[in-house]
Amino acid sequence: MEELRKVLLDLLSKVSGLYCVLITDRDGVPVLKVLTDKAPDLATRPSFLSTFGLAIDQGSKLGLGKAKTLICTYSQYQIIQINKLPLIISFIASDTSNTGHILGLEKYIDPLLVNLTLAVADTQ
Amino acid sequence: MGCCYSFFCKEDSAQQRGEPNERTHLLVDPVSNSANIPQYNSEDFLNNSNTLPKKTDEQSALNRILQETATNVIDVAALDSHNLQQHEYVERMRQYSSKLQQACASNKLPVRHKLCVLQDVPIPEKVICSESISADDLNLISTAVSKAAAAIGEIKVEHKEDMVVLFRVPD
Repeated sequence: MEELRKVLLDLLSKVSGLYCVLITDRDGVPVLKVLTDKAPDLATRPSFLSTFGLAIDQGSKLGLGKAKTLICTYSQYQIIQINKLPLIISFIASDTSNTGHILGLEKYIDPLLVNLTLAVADTQ
Repeated sequence: MGCCYSFFCKEDSAQQRGEPNERTHLLVDPVSNSANIPQYNSEDFLNNSNTLPKKTDEQSALNRILQETATNVIDVAALDSHNLQQHEYVERMRQYSSKLQQACASNKLPVRHKLCVLQDVPIPEKVICSESISADDLNLISTAVSKAAAAIGEIKVEHKEDMVVLFRVPD
């Protein structure tokens, strides 16, 4: 467990302006998360994080198709969420942070997901 | 109610000309397809059990339409209702962490191969813009390197025996 956390902490230092990485289930309940002090509290709440799943589901009805990644940019932050059902990976970063670098972190997280998916799949 | 009305309204079919309008039947009418149009009242349902499956068919078809409509509609108001209670949230988080402990204990992380020889630098511009080293240090480094290079150049092999030895190769 600590090993997984350490991998995520390493990722935080790889991209400047990345504030937190959260791996949650589809209701926004965190399975694993690493945060820095600058992470906005509101954006790490389940009600916000679970909106991604809903947005993807509802967006597909508009004809967008089943989206894999959602990138939202706000005035101060950007939020990147990747669909790995039953898990959701969320990155919260500064709006000036390099989005491509953050998307590139996916390949580092993928090997961790096996154990995390096991933990979630058993519970649900 | 409108749906029920159009279901029994035969004269509408002349006006439809195959184009869907507000009177178009949503269901294929099983009753009008048969030559005999049976009339049902509540007593028939009570006395004749054979009519019941038809009723359930209709009901299931209606349910299907309702479900399809529900999946196709984006109901923003209904999205809010799916909020977790605080205790549920805490409970689930606890479950996840214990399950994760177990999963980690049984499945070790695959050994990570170094993807790249060079290390990622998060903010390259900072490194590039950083102050260059002082002239003294540069001097020291260049003299040390030149001395080292000279020393390497002077390395010689002092041989005490013949370096090439003739074997007794028959001519």
